[in-house]
Amino acid sequence: MNVNFHISPELGSLLVVLLPFAGFLYQLIAGKQARSGLIPSLAMLVSGLISVAFVFPAIWNKTPFSVELEWFTIGQYSLGFGLHLNNLSVLMQLVVCLIALPVHFYSKHYMKNDPGIHRYWTFLSLFCTAMLGLTIASNLFMMYVFWELIGFASYLLIGFWFDRPAAVQANKKAFIINRIGDLGFLLGIAAVFTTYGSLNLLDLFGPDGLVRGTSPLSEGWATFTGCCFLLAAMAKSAQFPLHVWLPDAMEGPTSVSSLIHAATMVAAGVFLLSSIFPIFNQTVLLLTAIIGCFTALIAALFALTQHDIKKILAFSTVSQLGYMIASIGMGAWDAAMFHLTTHAFFKCLLFLGAGAIIHELAHFKSNSGLNFDPQNIQFMGGLRRFMPKTFLLMTVAALALAGFPLTSGFLSKDAILVHSFQWAQQAGGGTLLIPLTLSVVGVLTAFYIGRMIIKVFMGRFHFQKETEQTPIQEATSGMLLPMGFLALGSLAIGFSLHPLSYHQAYILTGLSAATIATESSLIPIVLPIILTLSAAAGWWLGWYWYIRQRYPFSESNKWIAWSANQGYLNQAYERAITNSTLRLSTFTYWIDRNLVDGLVHLSVWFTRQLAFTSAWIDRYLVDGLVNTTAALAYQIGHLLRGVQNGRLQNYLGFAFTILLIGIVYLIFK
Amino acid sequence: MGVLSLLIFLPLLAIVVILLTPGRGAHTLKYTALTTTLIQFLIAGYLLLNYQTGTPSNFADISGYQYVEQLSWIRLDLGTLGLLEIDYFIGVDGISLPLLALSALVILMAIGASWNVTKSRKGYFALLMLLNLAVMGIFSALDFFLFYIFYEVMLFPLYFLIGIWGGARREYAAIKFFIYTLLGSVFMLLIIVGLYFSVQNPYTGGHTFNMLYMMNPENYVPGSFFDWVGNSYQVFGIPARMIGFIVLFIAFAIKIPVVPLHTWLPDAHVEAPTPVSIILAGILLKIGGYGIIRICIGIFPDSMAAANWWLGLIGVVSIVYGALNALAQSDLKRMIAYSSVSHMGFVLLGIASLTAEGLSGALFQMVSHGFLSAALFFLVGVLYDRVHDRYIYNFRGLANLMPQYTAYIAIAFFASLGLPGFSAFIGEAFVIIGAFNAETLQTGIPRWMAIFGSLGILLSAVYFLWTLQRMFFGTTRLKGGDRWGSALSDLSPREKLVLTPALGLALLLGVFPSLLFNMMNGTVLNLLDLISPFIFG
Repeated sequence: MNVNFHISPELGSLLVVLLPFAGFLYQLIAGKQARSGLIPSLAMLVSGLISVAFVFPAIWNKTPFSVELEWFTIGQYSLGFGLHLNNLSVLMQLVVCLIALPVHFYSKHYMKNDPGIHRYWTFLSLFCTAMLGLTIASNLFMMYVFWELIGFASYLLIGFWFDRPAAVQANKKAFIINRIGDLGFLLGIAAVFTTYGSLNLLDLFGPDGLVRGTSPLSEGWATFTGCCFLLAAMAKSAQFPLHVWLPDAMEGPTSVSSLIHAATMVAAGVFLLSSIFPIFNQTVLLLTAIIGCFTALIAALFALTQHDIKKILAFSTVSQLGYMIASIGMGAWDAAMFHLTTHAFFKCLLFLGAGAIIHELAHFKSNSGLNFDPQNIQFMGGLRRFMPKTFLLMTVAALALAGFPLTSGFLSKDAILVHSFQWAQQAGGGTLLIPLTLSVVGVLTAFYIGRMIIKVFMGRFHFQKETEQTPIQEATSGMLLPMGFLALGSLAIGFSLHPLSYHQAYILTGLSAATIATESSLIPIVLPIILTLSAAAGWWLGWYWYIRQRYPFSESNKWIAWSANQGYLNQAYERAITNSTLRLSTFTYWIDRNLVDGLVHLSVWFTRQLAFTSAWIDRYLVDGLVNTTAALAYQIGHLLRGVQNGRLQNYLGFAFTILLIGIVYLIFK
Repeated sequence: MGVLSLLIFLPLLAIVVILLTPGRGAHTLKYTALTTTLIQFLIAGYLLLNYQTGTPSNFADISGYQYVEQLSWIRLDLGTLGLLEIDYFIGVDGISLPLLALSALVILMAIGASWNVTKSRKGYFALLMLLNLAVMGIFSALDFFLFYIFYEVMLFPLYFLIGIWGGARREYAAIKFFIYTLLGSVFMLLIIVGLYFSVQNPYTGGHTFNMLYMMNPENYVPGSFFDWVGNSYQVFGIPARMIGFIVLFIAFAIKIPVVPLHTWLPDAHVEAPTPVSIILAGILLKIGGYGIIRICIGIFPDSMAAANWWLGLIGVVSIVYGALNALAQSDLKRMIAYSSVSHMGFVLLGIASLTAEGLSGALFQMVSHGFLSAALFFLVGVLYDRVHDRYIYNFRGLANLMPQYTAYIAIAFFASLGLPGFSAFIGEAFVIIGAFNAETLQTGIPRWMAIFGSLGILLSAVYFLWTLQRMFFGTTRLKGGDRWGSALSDLSPREKLVLTPALGLALLLGVFPSLLFNMMNGTVLNLLDLISPFIFG
């Protein structure tokens, strides 16, 4: 290979986006012929290689790069399109590439025999294009474009099996809730535009960017702007109360869940908040921290009792995203990005593992003729004997999620927690609740993921007898290899030379939000020890409850039911929002038909009545008068007509009568 | 005869040919109409390509217009009333030219949709061509009298097209549409006459109908009814100029249509045959927006600057109210009709914002809604042609039966709900940005209007996606059973040929909005120059 072969980072980062796009176009044109997914996978591979070899090393801790060409001019304002490469964006791009790559290769095996697989590859390539484009967009408007396209691709992929009613309900819900966030983003853009007159990230957030100067906006509108972007991030990153779409989104293929709804798309909100961090004022940051913290807690509580393996992981994702958002709220967006990176690897791995299990159990189901839900962990157990490699890989990921030492999750979670205690010390007041809650969530996390691993792999398989005829297979190597790659990324050694101290994690030093205090205190030493011990206790409890059959609660327990039903939030939304909107729309339509159109009809009726009245007047009064006159003349004429009858006797009689009257008159005068 | 006149009056030739064709020659009729519109489409393309962009000028000056043709048409000495001047005066600028091109495209689509019309074809195509002539004239006329004539001529064919070729309640819908529009235009005539007596041609001294002269305050006779400065005329306590503005606004608002003057639209759409729905939504609604920009702002900028708060409010109400109504529909065509009310509300909000972003966004939205709504109505027509039913709940899981149709309708839905990459997104986003920016520029539109207006973007996603879910996804179940199942064949090549350009254009303009913005920017800035003294003065 030519040693001089070199791609400049700007060209490289562009290629990283364009290659999946080329894959998308290829799939679109080739249609049903393109079933192998070879071209999109290859495109993703080359993208990944370019990102690793040319983009990331050239930008990371070196000079940032930004370029913009004119896209269009509206009035006098020119909007550009271009690239914005700095540590944050190349890191995000690298993470997306590194996660998308194994998922592509995994999908080749996982989705192999699906009749609609050509659509799968099309949508997946579209998603990668949008996601990678988001990372390097040079202005907020471009980010918004990719932001929505991500939501669109996610819509398509969740509803991939469009003849399943649950899937099309879920993708509608996902898109609409994401739309709420999009509105926030759009209004945020409008607010930034009206405040600073620019949307370019470099102009706004560069070393001497506009945002660093004094804001011409009042404090209230600054809070509004911040809240708009927060809303955007809350929808995309599934924060309470907008998290409800994510568990439902599990209706999509598992490989999609692993890429989009665990590692990349849902992390876009965290990425957005990190990229525009300077725009937030203290009020918004505190709100961010509270929302993140509450989400982390409530999602962890929901995860405790789920039976669907994907739902457990979905709530775990929501909870971990809450960690990241809370961390941003506390100023440590670098720790948030660090956790985003480590979480991407181990959560993606957990999903792929879950996918492998579901895949094999579905095979088992169809071979054995049993009828059960292959995603329900109640029907699993003891799978470590059938799928030892999957078991090993998933355990690594689960340990990372639980935050055991030597895993990547230990480092990043530690970074967030330690910082949160230091932040609360400075902020004072009731803020101490936030780090305390986050610590509790850490313990809960360890418990629920321990529960999942134990219920799936330990103990005895639910259908042990049937496996004698139809044994369960280990996942194919085509699926295991990508998982192995992700498992490597779940180890601490990939992120820090010192596997027990996050201070040396290069992601943190590279991003350096410079907010994490390094002063010596007991917290950084004591906290990890406490957390690790309690996490271990959580696993032990899971083993004790589920394997030793010492589970103390009944299903009918009020709290268990509350958690299993996701806090009845979906039902509450259904009643409070969906139904009331529909009622409102029915009401407005009633108004439209009866009031608005009623007025029209009323005026028509009125006009017609007026017309009838005037016609009546015309006929009976005006014309009546004419006719009366005519009739009068006629009657008078008629009265005298009888006289002219031509009989001489009559005439003489008349003459005589008149004469008589005359004489009488003269006599009596 | 100039190119623009050719564009306008070519359909006249077609009418003659159509009327002279013997009744048996059904194909001749169709092909005459098609050829005419194709030539018009090419002429419109020629006009677009040769349009000189970016020449800053004055909105009220003839130098701001291109392809201008001015002939004196009627000259009548009215004694003490002075000389009556009516000109044949046409020309286009960056606002009217895109709409003209849009009209050519939409009429082409409408001809494509009329391919299978069987009921008295001769009259049908002749009326369609007359309508074609009228809309081209409306977008080109620069003389108010000429404008009015085209405006009224447009009504005539539409009345018959709906009333004869429409659905079950066609007579009701036709007369409702006709009376509504006439109501607006009759009062418009009063204002036109008032303006005529207030404006003088600075060169000849005679009264004139020339719109450009009407836009310049110096041409007004001091002390006349619509005079600008020191005008003390009042009607019911409202200043004369404001009355003029309001009456013209109502005339055009009926066309847009805005809430609460919109109820003719759902009825007209539901009863009209598919091609007429296409023209109605694609072109006629734009005449309302165009009239407000060209005439309401152009001639009454002072009143516009004073009244824009109310216009913005009406726009926001239309957006939200239209969207909510769309959500309540179970007839697919009626739903799309209400979505038009909502989407055209953005146009009014953008215009009312009086910012460069808002106005450009509104114009962009008009063009984009033009071909997108045309595509949507065409798609409804496809379904209706096959099974004569379009009730949403009578269909389920159409994606299995008609995959290509589903793909097209999904693209059209997503384009309409403002997915980035499609044109509606650019229009709506910039209307919102412009309306939000208006408070900073102090044009009189408060920010909450932008915030409430953006709700329409959310609701459009709700009703479109809900429809998609109910009709197209899930397991197939049809009210008409197997009979429908065999009737519901996928798109034919002709149908694809009609749809693809519209959706392709939506994509093209969504990715390269500069194609349109470059053409409009100069004119929009001229327009803002015209009105800005009244906003800040």
